[in-house]
Amino acid sequence: MQLTSSRLFPYVLLAPTIAVLLALSIYPLIYSVKISLQTEAGRATLGNFARLAGDQFFLSALGHTFVYASIALTIEFAIGLGLALLLDTQVRARGLFRSLLLVPMMLPPVVVGVVWRLMLNANFGALNGTLKRFGVNTESLTWTASPKLAMASVIAADVWQWTPFVFLILLAGLQAIPQEPYEAALIDGSSGWQTFRHVTLPLLMPAIVIALLLRTMDLLRVFDHIFILTEGGPGFATETLSLYIYRTAFRFSNFGYAAAMSFVLLLLTNVISAGYLRLLQAREA
Amino acid sequence: MTTRRIKTIAVAVLLLALGLPLLNCSRPQPGKNITLAINSGVEGDALKQAARDYESQTGVHINIAEFPYANLFEKELIDLNAHSGAYDLIMLDDPWFPKFASLDVLTDLSLLLKRRGLDKPDDDFVATSIALCRHPYQTGALYALPYVGNSQLFFYRRDLFQKHNLKEPATWDAVITAAKTISEQETTGAPGGGKIYGYVMRAAQGNAAVADFMPIFWAFGGEMFDNSGQPAVNSAEGIAALKFMIELGKYSPPGYASFNADEVGAHLLQGTAAMSINWPAWISSFGDPLKSKVIGKMEFGQLPAGKNPGRAEIGNWLIAIPRDARNADAAFEFLLWATSTEQMKMSAQRGNPPTRKSVFNDPQLVAKFPSYPAQLRSLEGSRPRPRTPLWNEIENAFGIYLSKANSGELSAEDAMNQANEEIRKIIARAGSK
Repeated sequence: MQLTSSRLFPYVLLAPTIAVLLALSIYPLIYSVKISLQTEAGRATLGNFARLAGDQFFLSALGHTFVYASIALTIEFAIGLGLALLLDTQVRARGLFRSLLLVPMMLPPVVVGVVWRLMLNANFGALNGTLKRFGVNTESLTWTASPKLAMASVIAADVWQWTPFVFLILLAGLQAIPQEPYEAALIDGSSGWQTFRHVTLPLLMPAIVIALLLRTMDLLRVFDHIFILTEGGPGFATETLSLYIYRTAFRFSNFGYAAAMSFVLLLLTNVISAGYLRLLQAREA
Repeated sequence: MTTRRIKTIAVAVLLLALGLPLLNCSRPQPGKNITLAINSGVEGDALKQAARDYESQTGVHINIAEFPYANLFEKELIDLNAHSGAYDLIMLDDPWFPKFASLDVLTDLSLLLKRRGLDKPDDDFVATSIALCRHPYQTGALYALPYVGNSQLFFYRRDLFQKHNLKEPATWDAVITAAKTISEQETTGAPGGGKIYGYVMRAAQGNAAVADFMPIFWAFGGEMFDNSGQPAVNSAEGIAALKFMIELGKYSPPGYASFNADEVGAHLLQGTAAMSINWPAWISSFGDPLKSKVIGKMEFGQLPAGKNPGRAEIGNWLIAIPRDARNADAAFEFLLWATSTEQMKMSAQRGNPPTRKSVFNDPQLVAKFPSYPAQLRSLEGSRPRPRTPLWNEIENAFGIYLSKANSGELSAEDAMNQANEEIRKIIARAGSK
């Protein structure tokens, strides 16, 4: 009796968690697979997946998602790495810099969206106001309203908010590198660039892969600040997959098609993440 | 007590605590309890205050579920589709109505009216507002009552029009002329010394672009669907209307292709734009010294004409009873009370345009809201957005192409041809299900 109850006890403790997981994750997942394979009337169909190939909105949203993710990732990584290298050295007041750099990351993305929307307002915004002071003609600089500048604007907001995240991970990575390899490199007479290329970079690689992996996953599903800044516009210029999925599900109430698109996004995210993880494992092996 | 026993008790207590909220799910007493889904905003607030008054008068308990505009539709749709009966009354924006009505999830109010010896809602309701509540439009069964009677108005700066010897524009051609004059003459006329733009519109994709385009489209003789129900936005009239919109955009502040209501409102309030199509909800802010630099300078007129007479787009808030409502009868009592002349006056005082003629004509209210006569005229002559359950999807696609044309990404012809094709696909897809 004693024995069984003590064996059961862990399961009793786990039960609520499992129940919540089943109710909130597993069941919706199975349900979304089911509705993606059904028409709105409930008949079985592959129509939702077949429609993807011919849907111009879907294809261009997919394109925008990749453009957005790759450009934002490149810039965030470049600046993040630069900042991490800079603040890993004995810069004066680096503690202050470090804490200040983390501020954007702590703001909710919606707030960031609203702040940038106000800043980028073509007529009353701070950015054009400042440019005007310096005598720049801002007539054609309609940031979020121009099909050419809108994508750059939403990327800029993302870079502003999430570069600190990349910076933080890389800085932690840098500080975990022991001193010995650097001393050895110094003795061998390696130049600054050589030390960076052959000592810092290889030893930092795990942190780099983690940073890129987390950012890529986040960038592919970006929603909040684009929704606030441009709502996918002008026209369709900044509509990403998440926005289009949201619209399809909650505006047009076509949950089946939205589920089908979500699975495509999930699949792409998985494939890319697997690539990163393989990179990481290859190094460890 | 052993440690194990303490642990067991702790787990039991925790589980019990988790289960407690379920106790709330017990069914309320019939007739004494109704639940209301409302929009958080001025329209919902008025209904919320009315509900509090009703509670203290009758003892009926009213629960309020309040959602932001962006979520209200999806919450209601999901709930009504699941037949959960969570709400006894729902507020809905009129473009959603065809979707709900065609899903057959609303209560036919004529039966409830009959039980009270009435054969139809009284004639004091504005005809265009009641027509929205019927499915099919105007002729079918009654599934809702109109609560807030919005329709577009033509906003313009009376002072600038007088200064430049211009009359209230009766046609869209006159609008262009006035916009040109003001844009050219008022290069330093805005408060702070900036330029005044002749016109301001919103052409952000989706609802914004479509709402600002429809009155032009209709005036130019455009129709979204032909007699056989096929999309016809790329007709010669439709393309001409879009070309006109782009032409008018030249007198609009740069970046208008991403404007929503707040940017248009800001330009008018700051005195940096002279005309626009807008909704009555903005009128009160023009008299607010904290927000407005144009106090006493705005005039609210009728939509300009083209080939056809000018007609405003209607945008009413309706109240309906879901088919699965638990207390349909008590809900209907409240609905009749809330839309009565007496209560609608209260709602008008709280800032909502009414849907009853007698309230629009009430001398006390006209003294407080001088634009009421213009609003009534606009409402009586207004047109609804096309009555189709697919409206959200069609509006989205149409709005994307309108916005693309206004931002210079597509020509008017290409935009309308592509929009037409996209709308055709949406209808074909719905037909094949």
